[in-house]
Amino acid sequence: MALLDVTNLSVDFQTDQGVVHAVRDISFQVGESEVVGIVGESGSGKSVTMYSVMGLLASNGDIKEGSVTFDGTEITRKAFPNQKAYEAAMSRIRGNDMSMIFQDPMTFLNPVIKIGKQVTEVIKNHNKISDAQAKEQAVSLMGQVGIPSPEQRFGQYPHEFSGGMRQRIIIAMALANNPKLIIADEPTTALDVTIQAQVLDLIKEMKEKLNSSVIMITHDLGVVASLCDRIIIMYGGKIVESGRAREIFYEPRHPYTMGLLRCVHNPEKKEKLMPIPGSPPDLLKPPAGCPFVDRCSKAMKICKVQMPKETVYSETHVCACWLEEAERRKGERHV
Amino acid sequence: MMTYTEQIEDSMFDKLEESEKDTEFIAMESKTYLKDAWDCFKKNRLALAGLIFLLFMVVLAVMVPVLSPYTYDSQNLDVRNALPSMAHPLGTDKLGRDILVRLMFGARISLMVGFVAAFLNLIIGVVYGGVSGFMGGKTDMVMMRIIDCIYSIPSMLYVILIMMVFGSNIGSVLLGICVSSWIGMARQVRTQVQTLKQQEFALAAYVIGAGKLRILFKHLIINCMGPIIVSTTLMVPEAIFTESFLAFIGIGISLPQASWGTLASEARSVIQSYPLQIVWPVLAICLTVLSLNFIGDGLGEALDPKNR
Amino acid sequence: MSDKVLLSVEHVKTYFDVTKGPFSRKQIVKAVDDVSFTIKEGETYGLVGESGCGKSTLGRTLVQIYRATEGRICYKGRDISTLTQNDRKEFTREVQMIFQDPYASLNPRMTVGEIIKEPMEIHKILSTSREREERAAELLKTVGLKPDHIRRYPHEFSGGQRQRISIARTLALNPKFIICDEPISALDVSIQAQIINLLKEIQENMGISYLFVAHDLSMVNYISHRIGVMYLGHLVEEGDADEVYENPIHPYTKALLSAVPIPDPDKAREKKRIQLKGELPTPLNPPSGCPFKGRCPIATEACEETRPELKDYKGHKAACFRIQT
Repeated sequence: MALLDVTNLSVDFQTDQGVVHAVRDISFQVGESEVVGIVGESGSGKSVTMYSVMGLLASNGDIKEGSVTFDGTEITRKAFPNQKAYEAAMSRIRGNDMSMIFQDPMTFLNPVIKIGKQVTEVIKNHNKISDAQAKEQAVSLMGQVGIPSPEQRFGQYPHEFSGGMRQRIIIAMALANNPKLIIADEPTTALDVTIQAQVLDLIKEMKEKLNSSVIMITHDLGVVASLCDRIIIMYGGKIVESGRAREIFYEPRHPYTMGLLRCVHNPEKKEKLMPIPGSPPDLLKPPAGCPFVDRCSKAMKICKVQMPKETVYSETHVCACWLEEAERRKGERHV
Repeated sequence: MMTYTEQIEDSMFDKLEESEKDTEFIAMESKTYLKDAWDCFKKNRLALAGLIFLLFMVVLAVMVPVLSPYTYDSQNLDVRNALPSMAHPLGTDKLGRDILVRLMFGARISLMVGFVAAFLNLIIGVVYGGVSGFMGGKTDMVMMRIIDCIYSIPSMLYVILIMMVFGSNIGSVLLGICVSSWIGMARQVRTQVQTLKQQEFALAAYVIGAGKLRILFKHLIINCMGPIIVSTTLMVPEAIFTESFLAFIGIGISLPQASWGTLASEARSVIQSYPLQIVWPVLAICLTVLSLNFIGDGLGEALDPKNR
Repeated sequence: MSDKVLLSVEHVKTYFDVTKGPFSRKQIVKAVDDVSFTIKEGETYGLVGESGCGKSTLGRTLVQIYRATEGRICYKGRDISTLTQNDRKEFTREVQMIFQDPYASLNPRMTVGEIIKEPMEIHKILSTSREREERAAELLKTVGLKPDHIRRYPHEFSGGQRQRISIARTLALNPKFIICDEPISALDVSIQAQIINLLKEIQENMGISYLFVAHDLSMVNYISHRIGVMYLGHLVEEGDADEVYENPIHPYTKALLSAVPIPDPDKAREKKRIQLKGELPTPLNPPSGCPFKGRCPIATEACEETRPELKDYKGHKAACFRIQT
């Protein structure tokens, strides 16, 4: 059984301009000790999906439909008798079994509390241990995530840490209670390349040590290539393609995936960059058909009016595009 | 049996023309800043009520000579200290003058003092603070020390001194109120401008060759207009209060003209026998100040960039 | 691309005095410390480095947002710090800048049309408002937006669209030289390629030179003719783009290159990274000797003492004592 199972999830946001359909009917699973990358550009719904899984949606956001089960238990609001019970349960889950690494560590760290204290708090919140033990654990955790001289750093404030070091602290806090699932929301976007490489290696290393599952949210295919077992490509609030890393990179089926691959400069191949024209769809009025239709070079009339059904290429590789059907018909006509 | 997909005609699988694609589509309705702010302001009932009350007061104050058979100084010693009646809706004072009419004439003075003082503060504060924050360095240092000097003397002292020198008329009341009250505005604008001038759009304006004045007014000040308007609104009741206070202690505008403060002061002398007379000017001051505060709150919310 | 030098930067230093109060110890941030290079007409010079290395400060020094503490910046052979009022106007018309953050670089209270028309108004390009409006619509089309977007406000657009509005604003002046200060680092990958290709296209059509500041070596390699690598205020390696990219000789450039993620699962898993110890030191009172010595895998005692100068090594320059020739 999968650790995390999301079925037919739809999320809406109420704004004064109207309802934004941020996530529209998506389903996916994450297995035990699996690393899944969710790739998409801003506004594709990738972060919203994970925020709704964690019960952290902003107050104007709402899960319209669908269910999320974690470790066999339903964890959407509708499974609980009232808001209070839901929030209590989610806060327990977030501390023990699921944790999150954010893009900007400063939104998560309290600037006026010493780093050591913040790490110790997280440990103590969920384990009944003495202060001394908690401190010992916190120091060893900080050492594990590669903070040099952790005892000394223990008493410093967040502003005395560099961006990379802060991200390491966030990772330490996320790992403090050996979570089953770690959700990393663009953990390296704000970092320089050399630091990004360090942090990615750290996530990989810690994942192997703890045997947790990891969901990696990013807009950069380069980041997921080395790290992820499976990749989900999101666009305009929908999953357009998903498959094992090699399937996505070597046999992409969806024009958007192909486009994404072509606009990353691959130093190994000297090709001209082929950007995807246009801008992502406005989810205030999402297109009736495929969300990618207006930017797709292979768009057909049908794409404009109807969402394509999913074509299954292998046990793991699924893609939602009309091209497959078009190919099939062309084949039939030739016969 | 045909599946759903089979029912789709082959022609639907023809290529979609470029012209049929809707790239760079923006569904969001385009609204100007003011329209957006007004839409938000309208949702705040209290602020809207405040605005309506204030407009009502202004209209009454302007129209009162046309609407009323009495003037502010027409005495009628036969009906001294009358209670409210059909002829005098709020009664009369100790000289038989109609209180409602006097109240409305008082509104002219009080509201005018409030708005003119706030407006002067706005102009002086924005220009002074803007220049100080924008120039920075030594200019800023000197300008800020000047402010500190002005601030170090109690504002009441200025008012009383000015009244003594120039006599008690509207001009000297305004001057007295304005001497030091623009300082808060100047400081606020200075801080805002200091932050904004580091923003990339200000740098961009510099790079395209915009002059200092253009950068300061077209790019910086316009972007801190929200908080500026809010504090201007809140400055109106402050000025009304100060003026009323001055009038109440007897160094305000001279009789027989009357602001609300003067009316309250006059009513004080008969408070033992006719307590109702002091209620009216106090009520007028309270309601006006309250509605201005509500308007300020509503504007603060409507103009806050975080709400966009 | 011609051989004529458009801009030359000679031993430029940009220091900031960050001493707090009159009684504290003097503290100087050496953001740019003795950097020299030249840019030819129609050329793109890529400036790469991590945040805090001084690359953006250098870019801003070139358009005189900051004043150089020492050294000379010559545009078309003339020192820009000694320009007369008139020449300065000419300089601002020809030298433009595109900023990093598309959410902060457009005035939120102005419509797109007003934003694009503003430089034309300042420099009195075209005579009537009508003509400027038409030109603005035309420019919007050039950057791939619709002319009827002209009355909208910046916050209604996505990041990539805003960056294109920024580009349209700079193009309004027909500039000769544009400083691109990390124009793509805040954008999604699919949009980055759009902007890069747009910039390339504009260069081909109008013969503009670029200084392209970025931290992403692979994108810089794609757009640039020559690349300079900065570290802690110093230029540590410089040369033809492909030379630097394919045969880096400075240990920092090597590490930077090996850290670039490859969008290919098999190759990415095989690839050996050069792990750098620690992070970029602060440019506040930097240490003597080679700036990179603290993180360098091959540093020796010689690196502690003196700072290596840029030297020629077969076609490209590097500042390192440990390069074998």
